[in-house]
Amino acid sequence: MAEVIQEMSAGLAKLVEAAQAVVVRVDGRRRLSATGIVWSEDGVIVTANHVLRRDNKLRVGLADGSKIDAELIGRDPTTDLAALRIKSAGLETPNWGKPSDLQIGHIVLALGRPGKSVQATLGIISALGGTWRTPAGGQVENYLQTDVIMYPGFSGGPLLSVEGSVLGLNTSAIRGVSVSLPTTTLQRVVESLLAHGRVRRGYLGVGIQAVKLPQSLVEELGQETGLLVVSVEPDSPADEAGITLGDTILAMDENVIEQMDDLLAALGHERVGTETMLQLLRGGEKLERSVKIGER
Amino acid sequence: MMTVLERINAELGELSKEVQKSLVRVSSGERGEGAGTIWHAEGLILTNAHVVLNDDIRVTLPDGVRKKATLLAMDRELDLAALAVEAWDLPTIDLGSSDSMQAGEWVIAFGHPWGVNGAATAGVFIGQGRTVQERPQWGREWLAVSLHYRPGHSGGPLVDVNGNLIGINTVMVGPDVGLAVPIHAVKRFLKENLNSI
Repeated sequence: MAEVIQEMSAGLAKLVEAAQAVVVRVDGRRRLSATGIVWSEDGVIVTANHVLRRDNKLRVGLADGSKIDAELIGRDPTTDLAALRIKSAGLETPNWGKPSDLQIGHIVLALGRPGKSVQATLGIISALGGTWRTPAGGQVENYLQTDVIMYPGFSGGPLLSVEGSVLGLNTSAIRGVSVSLPTTTLQRVVESLLAHGRVRRGYLGVGIQAVKLPQSLVEELGQETGLLVVSVEPDSPADEAGITLGDTILAMDENVIEQMDDLLAALGHERVGTETMLQLLRGGEKLERSVKIGER
Repeated sequence: MMTVLERINAELGELSKEVQKSLVRVSSGERGEGAGTIWHAEGLILTNAHVVLNDDIRVTLPDGVRKKATLLAMDRELDLAALAVEAWDLPTIDLGSSDSMQAGEWVIAFGHPWGVNGAATAGVFIGQGRTVQERPQWGREWLAVSLHYRPGHSGGPLVDVNGNLIGINTVMVGPDVGLAVPIHAVKRFLKENLNSI
């Protein structure tokens, strides 16, 4: 009787036991500690940005009970990720999994260490998808939603597969839906934080608002909307290129710009320092301006 | 040798893929947005009455094709609606029964929570009957499940571990209890209103 359930139960416990060494506590805000994942054996820890309410007096609690002072390497508020460094060597690191191996319905565990010992909750993969953009404009390579319940302090912890590999980092649950950042995004952001202390993004220096285009232009261009420039920062790349209030951005090089997202996508780190052709609408006339994309 | 966990995992993945084939999106009015379940291959689709807000009903089939739907029958009390779309050879879910379900058995709900397409959510079967502790005045038949229904789950399928349809996702009653309309109530609704089965 109940052999399968017993085996499953024992299997889950074994998974938690095997993975708990890579799950650390992160003290970076008052009252409630959060969770982090060991990134490298020489002491890099990855966690959620929002759990670090301060830049110093950060501490990391390891599985063996030791508490170590940590230094902030950098943050990326747009993806809600941050990297810390502790003076430690020979840390155990996770086996990283790939979202491509996943199916909706697969069992997953969320691990956290808001206290001394590791904690776990069980759920399934609810939804999978391609690249998406956070409300703050950060790019995330895969959409990964689960129905695991995230207890307080679980932010920054790993999402674990039944093969024992880490599939992503759990950020806070929004509206009762738990979203994890996939390993590809962790890799890209942490590498950028290690190299630059931040994630490089292209910078134009305009405030914008999506607006409907006149019908004649809709037919001519095949795009419904453009981005109306509502502010220009002095001495910004946009200012230097002669972009003014009231211009409507239609395209950047070959990329059609209809929504805020399109512009954010077109301002990736690879654009920094490049000359880019902006197509504008000014007083009903189309014109082009060359802009040297800045960096933020 | 696969471990039990890996086998369960693989089966849940397969089950989800199967059930998603019979999950549709239903929209009506400005704010009516929910799920629906393909009941039979020739275009009969089941959803909740509270998803249907006006006559302009659109159904998005699993292959992405969007169709206009007509309302065949609706019962606000049962919170059920039967829709018809012009389509043939649609994939259907095998019908199960909640009669033999026991508390603690696994169930999986499908829908579009907060607009996320075709998402799966798992929980356990709590119980069934007319008396729901959280809503004593209702007096309707319900399946209670410990999973989180969100806006967009309504009208979608609730299945057992065999992938058989046991209920239609309907409403949350409290932070952790969801209610579904049991399949025998759906059958009765269709029989009384459409002379079906």
